[in-house]
This record gives sequence, C-alpha cells and structure tokens, in this order.
Amino acid sequence: MTATTSSLIEVRGLHKAFGDQEVLKGIDFTAEEGTATALLGPSGSGKTTVLRSLNVLETPDAGAVRIADASIDFDHLPDDKSARRREIKALRARSGMVFQSHNLFPHMTVLQNLVEGPVLVQGRAADEAEVDARRLLEQVGLAGRESAYPAQLSGGQQQRVGIARALALKPQVVLLDEPTSALDPELVGEVLSVIRDLAQQGWTLVIVTHEIRFAGDVADQVLFLDDGVVAERGGAEVLTDPQQERTKQFLRRVLEAR
Amino acid sequence: MHISHIVPWLVVPLLATASLLGLSGPAHAADGDPVVRVGTEGTYPPFTYVDPRSQQLTGFDVEVIKAVAKKAGWQLKFVQSPFDAIFPALDAHRIDVIANQITINPEREARYLFTQPYTYSHGVIVTSADNDDIKTLADLKGRTAGESETSNWAQVARDAGAKVKSVDQFAQAAALLVQGRVDAVVNDNIAVLDYLASTGSTKIKIRRDVEGEVSKQALAFRKSDKALRDQAEKALAELRADGTLRKISEKYFSADVTVPNSGKVKVKGSDTRNTAEVVRDSAWPMLRGVIVGTIPLTVISFLVGMVIALAAALARMSANPLLRLPSRFYISVIRGTPLLVQLFIVFYGLPEIGLKIPSYPAAIIALSLNVGGYAAEIIRASILSVPRGQYEAATTIGMDYAQSMRRIILPQAARIAVPPLSNTLLSLVKDTSLASVVLVPELLRKATDAASSSTEFLPVYAFAALYYWIICWLISLAQNRVEARLERFAV
Ligand SMILES: Nc1ncnc2c1ncn2[C@@H]1O[C@H](COP(=O)(O)OP(=O)(O)O)[C@@H](O)[C@H]1O
Ligand SMILES: [Mg+2]
Repeated sequence: MTATTSSLIEVRGLHKAFGDQEVLKGIDFTAEEGTATALLGPSGSGKTTVLRSLNVLETPDAGAVRIADASIDFDHLPDDKSARRREIKALRARSGMVFQSHNLFPHMTVLQNLVEGPVLVQGRAADEAEVDARRLLEQVGLAGRESAYPAQLSGGQQQRVGIARALALKPQVVLLDEPTSALDPELVGEVLSVIRDLAQQGWTLVIVTHEIRFAGDVADQVLFLDDGVVAERGGAEVLTDPQQERTKQFLRRVLEAR
Repeated sequence: MHISHIVPWLVVPLLATASLLGLSGPAHAADGDPVVRVGTEGTYPPFTYVDPRSQQLTGFDVEVIKAVAKKAGWQLKFVQSPFDAIFPALDAHRIDVIANQITINPEREARYLFTQPYTYSHGVIVTSADNDDIKTLADLKGRTAGESETSNWAQVARDAGAKVKSVDQFAQAAALLVQGRVDAVVNDNIAVLDYLASTGSTKIKIRRDVEGEVSKQALAFRKSDKALRDQAEKALAELRADGTLRKISEKYFSADVTVPNSGKVKVKGSDTRNTAEVVRDSAWPMLRGVIVGTIPLTVISFLVGMVIALAAALARMSANPLLRLPSRFYISVIRGTPLLVQLFIVFYGLPEIGLKIPSYPAAIIALSLNVGGYAAEIIRASILSVPRGQYEAATTIGMDYAQSMRRIILPQAARIAVPPLSNTLLSLVKDTSLASVVLVPELLRKATDAASSSTEFLPVYAFAALYYWIICWLISLAQNRVEARLERFAV
C-alpha cells in the first residue's frame, strides 16, 4: 500500500466464499476523504458483502482493508485471539453502518438508540452525548421525537434515526446498505435528502444503492460490481456513459424498471 | 462467544451450591452434649404425631425417646419422615435413631442394632364392617392390603399371600379401607384402636388378632453406632426400673404395653376434633409451611435456576463444544427424568458417594437444577428469536459480546421469555410439594400431618389447594404487570 496512502479507505484483493460459492473474487478500490462512493450492481453481485467486509461483519478469506489508521490484513491475521479482536475493534470504530432494515433497538427510545454507543462503548459523558444526539436528530429532521420508540415512527423516520445513530459515534466513514430499498416509494425522498446533506457536509460515504439518479448526483466515485469483481469504475459519468456491456445491460434494466 | 464471558455465569451457581453443601447437621451442641437426630413419622398416632392443638410432635414413642435422652444426656433433634424413607435416612446418616414402633425381625436385626423392646403389641386384621369374607390371615390370600411398603405389617400381609398397596402412613391405609380400595389392613392393634377412637368410625372393624407371637418394638440404630445404642439400652433399663416407662404407657393406653401381656389396652383417641376445628387448627401450620417452605423454596430455586438457565442457554449456543456438549447433556437429562427421581438422587443417592446434603439445600439444588434445565431452553429460544440484525447493529456500534447480550439481546429476549418463564414459575410453586419427600416442612408436608392426625383428608387438602392457588394467582397478577412493562415499546 504505497501510492495511495493519502486515501481514507483502501481495499485490496478481497476474496470471500460462502461454502463453495465464491462471492468476492478480488475487489480493489480506494476512496478519498470527504467523497461518496456508490456501489452498484445486480442483486447477488456481492455489494453487501463488500460493505460488511469493511467493518468485519463478514470476515474475508483474503485481502486487506484499511480505514484511516486502522487496517487488517486478512492474509496475515494475528494468531493471538485477543490481538485479532483488538484489530477488528479498531477497524470497526472507524465506520458507522446504516442497514437496509434500520435495525434500531426496539426497546430503547430514539434518544437512547443514539447515546447507547457513545456512552457505553466510547465512554463519553451521558449529558454531552445527549446534546450531540439532539443536534443530530434535528439535522435529520426528527427534533421532538427523542422519546418515541422506533415502532412509533414511520419507515422513513426510522431510517433517518438509523443514520443519526451511525453518525453519533463520529465515525470517519459511513457505510449505507440500500438505505431506501425497504421503504415505501413516498418515503424514499426524505431519506435520500438526508444522505445528500451528509455528502455536502463532507462525510465520507460508501453507499450501496439502486437509485441511479441519486447516485449520479452525490457519487464522486462509482463502482459497478458484477459476479464478485469490479466490472467498471469511474466518476458519475459511468452512469450516463457506461463502457462495459454488463454495465449497460444493468443500467438499462434498472431504468426500465422505474 | 468467548469462554471468559461464560465463566462468571457458571461460577456463581457453583459457589452457591458449594456453600450449601457445607450446611450439614452439627454433631455436638455448644455445651458438648451429643446431638442425636431422631427419625419418626409424626403421622402414626398415638405413637408419633403432631398434636393438633399445640402443634408439637408428641406421642408414646416421642415421649419414650425424650425420657431416654434425658437419662443418657443427649440433645434431641426430631426429623419427620415418611415411614418408607426412615431406614434410608438412617443409612444415609441423616438421622441417628428411629423411634417409630420399629418391630424387631431377623432381616432388620441383620442390618441394624436394636435396644430391648419398649412396646409389646400384636397385629390385627382390619376390614370394612360389612366384609365377612376375611376372618383369618389365610383369607388374605389373593386380596389387597394397604400397608407401608417397608413395614413388617406389609411383610406379614405378603407372607399371607396378599397383594400390598403401598401407602405413606396408617391414616391413608384406613382411608383406602373405608373407601373400599383395599380389602384389609394389617397393623398394630394400638394404632387401629387409636384410629377408631379418634374418628368414631363404624365403617371398619378389627376382625381378629394376627396369629402367632406378639411383636416387639424397639429403638433402631446403625450397626456402627454401638456406643449410642448401649447408652439407650442403659437408659431404657433405668426407665423401666424407676417406673417411667410404665407411666408413659399408662398415660396413652391405660395399660403397660412395655411388658409382655399388657392386658386390655384402652385408647382415648389422639384426635377427636370435628371438621371445623381441624380446618381452623391446620390453617396456621399450613400457612407456616407456605412461609418457611413453599415460598422460600420457590423464590430461591427460581433465582438460582435462572442463573443456571442463562449460563446453560449461552453455553448451549456456544461454538465451543466443551461448553455446548455438557450443556446439551444437562438439559437433556433434566428434561428426560422425573423431578422426583432427581430429588431422590440428590437427597438419598449422593450420600452414598459421600455427598451428604441437608434436606432444605438438597431440595433447592434439585429444584434449581430442574428449573434451570427447562428455563435454559426457553431462554435459548428467546435469544434466537431476537433478529440477527440486532446483534449486528450492536456490533457495528462497537459493543462486544457481553455488552450486546446485556444491553440489546437479553432485554428483547426477556419480553419473549416472560410468558413461558411464568409457566415455569407456576409449575415450580407446585413442584415444591415434592420437597416433602425429602423432609422439607413445606405446605404439603404440613397438610399431610394435619390430614393424618385428623383423617379429614378432604377439608385439609382442599385448604392446601387453596393456598397453592392463591400463590399462583398472585404470580399471574405479577406476570401481567411485568408483561405490560416489557410491552411498552412495542406498538
Ligand atoms: N451469510 C451468507 N451465507 C451464505 N451465502 C451468502 C451469505 N451472505 C451472502 N451470501 C450470498 O453471497 C452472494 C452475494 O450476496 P450479497 O453480497 O448480499 O449480494 P448483493 O448485496 O450484491 O445483492 C449472494 O449469492 C448471497 O446469496
Ligand atoms: Mg445487498
């Protein structure tokens, strides 16, 4: 890892198989600080697995991941279990994750969902974490809903809380896995606009999405995945002027489906 | 899952268990007199019974052993036990002497040490009043007799060719006879006379004496306790010489049964109360059984059981086979064997390999292990029913295994687990009644005492049922409140 030491994210040679099924067959990419990277590709192409490799929810079979100063070389994992755990913990601390199905903690209020990580894991003072949490809720347009339980919110509101929860840990990177695909169409807009704001504020984002137009708007980098490899990459122009046949086909299918 | 997270969960119940193991009975009182534990039924009037008015253990045998203790300089500790558990209790060193009209016979003499007899009596055959078919012992052939399984009377009935229906105490045998469920009862003439005098029953009557010589009853000791037996022997001789034995006997029987050919025995009846009095008198002792037995047994066993269950559930889900397999085995054994058998193993079985656990801790250990096995599967299923995404979300905000369990998974699992765990708790309340077989003075034991001295089975057991039902009803109320609290976040 020499030429790109300035990149915030660096992914090299990721391989992952589930049983006999090879899902990732060597994924490489880098992302600069303050940019948004969009991961596109047909269902089952490995997008989620790439994202989950970045915070080791999946453990790749080979390759390396670095975010800022935390890195794991999956080819040379430390033998010592606790050393391995320390590495994973350090890498995880660099990113926050927004799930397709939000995965909010249903037994905690909105505010508790946000302060749980900062207080319990990062050891921050509760009142200070609360002030931050309220500001974040305001930012995602949910001021006043602090004491609601997740089940009392709409899908779009839930996903915005999910985003705020990821931000509450002040990560260097926010990972979003199809943040709008579980939502009713009329709720998609409010969530996308929150993510647009994040990009404008300079958060480093990695987003798996099928929203082509949205990706074209916010993405500084587009990675098109197919069958476990990056089939095409480039700036947002990849979406309007794809070079690879597989990319063209995919985009045609997605746009027709709209 | 990591072993280090499991260990504290496992250590706590083990330590609790170990500290309970240390609680065996003291061998000597503070002032140096030996403490001698006396096994007696307490349900065999007029020899050994709980006086309905004073609630004190009393009776002919009880007074005799007390007089012996006074002469021999013993301190006594009475342990009430069903007859069939008395010899096992002596073998297991839970008691040191039996004072319970133990008839001397060759089989028992081979295993135990006896004093000289302090009662001479004879067996009688009892049948229902309208049954004229049974006139002699020989007529018992092919009939059924109600007897304590391990008593000499059971042996007499069996030798005569009768089928023996096993009962816990004489009052049950009498009830079976009155209800026509057995054809006859063979028992001591004095016990039968007491029953007739107490109940005024005309439904059963004594057919005739059992043929053969009189039977002799004495105190029984372990073979290894010769010194103790000799002290008792000496004391009995003195009591006989100074007339004390005769005085005790005349108080109960208006005759001296401590010598052969006592003459005509008259028994006042140890209990002549009517039903209302019986219910009134037994209400408080049974409530005491609830307070000192049923409730603490339930609460402690449930709490300890929950800790065991959580540890077993987490171990069962572990990737490590050294945790997973023992846990599976434990759960399988607990769920695959009757609680009564588990109780017997802990209380009567373990002493044979040197683990002597007093009755109360033994009951708690058996009940806790039992609850733990059932609740482990409930907790495991509840944890598994929490969506995987919850665990992942906790992981991505940096929680480790223990934190995500404590803060995220278990609170959600609790909501799912409360209704089935409440069922487990309700079952436990009722299962504590089995602790009576390991001699814990809980509600059922108290009810049985009251029923046997009064022979008023219906009102006494109905009253006991009422107590159980009230406890369970209160638990259901508490369950509703807990559920409402846990439901507040689910809209
Ligand atoms: N935990 C898993 N076990 C087995 N197969 C999996 C697992 N996760 C993903 N896969 C498989 O890996 C392939 C890629 O999955 P994924 O990364 O979720 O694709 P995408 O997000 O691009 O739709 C799919 O065929 C999926 O079925
Ligand atoms: Mg996916």
